[in-house]
Amino acid sequence: MNALPFLIIVPLFGAFSMPLIKLISEKVRDIWAVIISAVTLGVAADVFYTIWKTNKIIVYTLGDTTPLGKGVGFPIRIVWEVDLLGALIAVTIAFVSLLAIIYSLEYMRHDTGLDKYYTLILILELGMLGIVITGDIFNFYVFLEIMSIASYALVAFRNDTWEGIEAGIKYMFVGSLASSFILLGIALLYGQYGTLTMAYLSQYITREPTFVSKVALAFILGGLLFKSGAVPVHMWLADAHPAAPSSISAMLSGLVIKAGGVYAIARILFSIYSISLNIRTLGWIIIFFACLTLIVGNAMAVIQTDMKRLFAFSSVGQIGYILLGIGIGLAAYGTDIGQIALAGAIYHTVNHAIMKALLFLVAGAVLHEVGTKNLNELSGLARRMPLTSFAFLVGAAAIIGMPPLNGFASKWLLYESSALYNPFLAAVAVVGTAFCTAAYIRVLFTFFGKESEKVKAAKDPGKAMIIPMIILILAIIIMGLLPWQINESIMIPTAKMLEESGKYVLAVLGG
Amino acid sequence: MIPFQFVTAFLLIFMGIYAFLYKRNLIKLILALNIIDCGIHLLLISLGYRLENGVLPTAPIYTGYETLKGTPMVGPIPQALVLTSIVIGVCVLALAMALTINAYRHYGSLDINKLRRLRG
Repeated sequence: MNALPFLIIVPLFGAFSMPLIKLISEKVRDIWAVIISAVTLGVAADVFYTIWKTNKIIVYTLGDTTPLGKGVGFPIRIVWEVDLLGALIAVTIAFVSLLAIIYSLEYMRHDTGLDKYYTLILILELGMLGIVITGDIFNFYVFLEIMSIASYALVAFRNDTWEGIEAGIKYMFVGSLASSFILLGIALLYGQYGTLTMAYLSQYITREPTFVSKVALAFILGGLLFKSGAVPVHMWLADAHPAAPSSISAMLSGLVIKAGGVYAIARILFSIYSISLNIRTLGWIIIFFACLTLIVGNAMAVIQTDMKRLFAFSSVGQIGYILLGIGIGLAAYGTDIGQIALAGAIYHTVNHAIMKALLFLVAGAVLHEVGTKNLNELSGLARRMPLTSFAFLVGAAAIIGMPPLNGFASKWLLYESSALYNPFLAAVAVVGTAFCTAAYIRVLFTFFGKESEKVKAAKDPGKAMIIPMIILILAIIIMGLLPWQINESIMIPTAKMLEESGKYVLAVLGG
Repeated sequence: MIPFQFVTAFLLIFMGIYAFLYKRNLIKLILALNIIDCGIHLLLISLGYRLENGVLPTAPIYTGYETLKGTPMVGPIPQALVLTSIVIGVCVLALAMALTINAYRHYGSLDINKLRRLRG
């Protein structure tokens, strides 16, 4: 029995049964949202475990047993194809979504229209899960749009404030333009090769890489860089992520820019194009954007006075590290350095999802209790909100890359591979980390500084908000205690599987 | 020779991008997004009309058409794609309109330059 389709069925059912469940009572609705996301996490874990155990790609065809058409040798149906990378990101998505939903039980209690909120949050989760499991490029676009539309609506969820509306409008215009570029790229690919299945497309492109396929790649890559918030098109991110409710910010910063951005870039570059292009040039293009992103993002974080905006710019910077890993993995394709860089990028994707979710949940707790996120008014919070401050301390230390925590291992892999590939890149990466450290030290001093008037009445939030933070802290510490074991047993096989595009093709077309 | 549908499609796309970059009214921006989408839809639809043995295929598609008229039928996949894409486009349009109404309530203006309160 293949559990894969339930990864989509369960959240879809949960999302659209929400308005009916709400008729019973509000309590049941909350429990229903938690149960649905917990079941999704279970399914994702099962899929991941199956693939990790057998080291085989799972292929699921919608409406049939084989992707190939009757009597013809090529795939004619929509295919879902999950390798280790997709499954790993799916587990991360389900995990962080579950915690965000538990967190919003208390955080969103004073808002109205919560059945719509839970519907949208489950659709957002569904869209991201769809992106990571699909093997059909138009299906990918559809899931990308499901995810994007849900996130535009969630950013503007509190429509009684100007902040959410303005951020939502900016996010929506930029995001729709990016989606249009991606659709144009897909249309060009279809026009050239007449197929939409990624594996079959990859075979065609390897056989005859035409000029049109490169133009299509440029459009798709451009759109995806928009969506992942790379510099110079990062401005929407710094507006949209702080303006959303904090539980949504955690999902946007932790998951959406990964699933709809860097994951998709890695999938398109490695699985579809891979060896058919001048891979060094392409790698250096990605590295160029990565360096720009990680310097500008981290440097902009230093000068922010708004706590959530600071975290958002820091997200831009961290995306730069992940792109750097992907770029080196591409430029040094087939060597050990490339593999280490790729493993580092994948590791950092998972780590950053956990760390940034924790930091945004902390910001949400502060906003909920004190009512402001302006750093100048928040000094001396540590005495009033000890648990929250401890959570911030762990999250900040992990994101800087302190040795006993999980951020250290992934950043170390990235430094190591970039130093071996080109020392200049390692220097850029270290400078980025220096800016990052400066930004977080500033917040730390604010938290532990002299007590101000505003924070006198603050206290730690209730259980529903504390528990997700504690789980994330535990995840960070446990992953930090076993960095090399996780790297050896999960990240390196994942990177290997992503690099072997031949297997990805064979899984669908059959050996 | 490039078929004229492709030229028209790219003209529409560039018109949309021009309007997106140079217009300031929110409604006009939404229209610009729709024009870009229309251009891409036209491109996709016209991809279904490939010359087969020098004969232009004809719509509509139904079983038995080839034997009836003696001409091949158009590719069905692009039409399915465009249908899906139109539905997505409508969703974005509806959401954009809803947000625009909300923005007008908060700012009293539809000028995108007035939506500049977020800073940092």
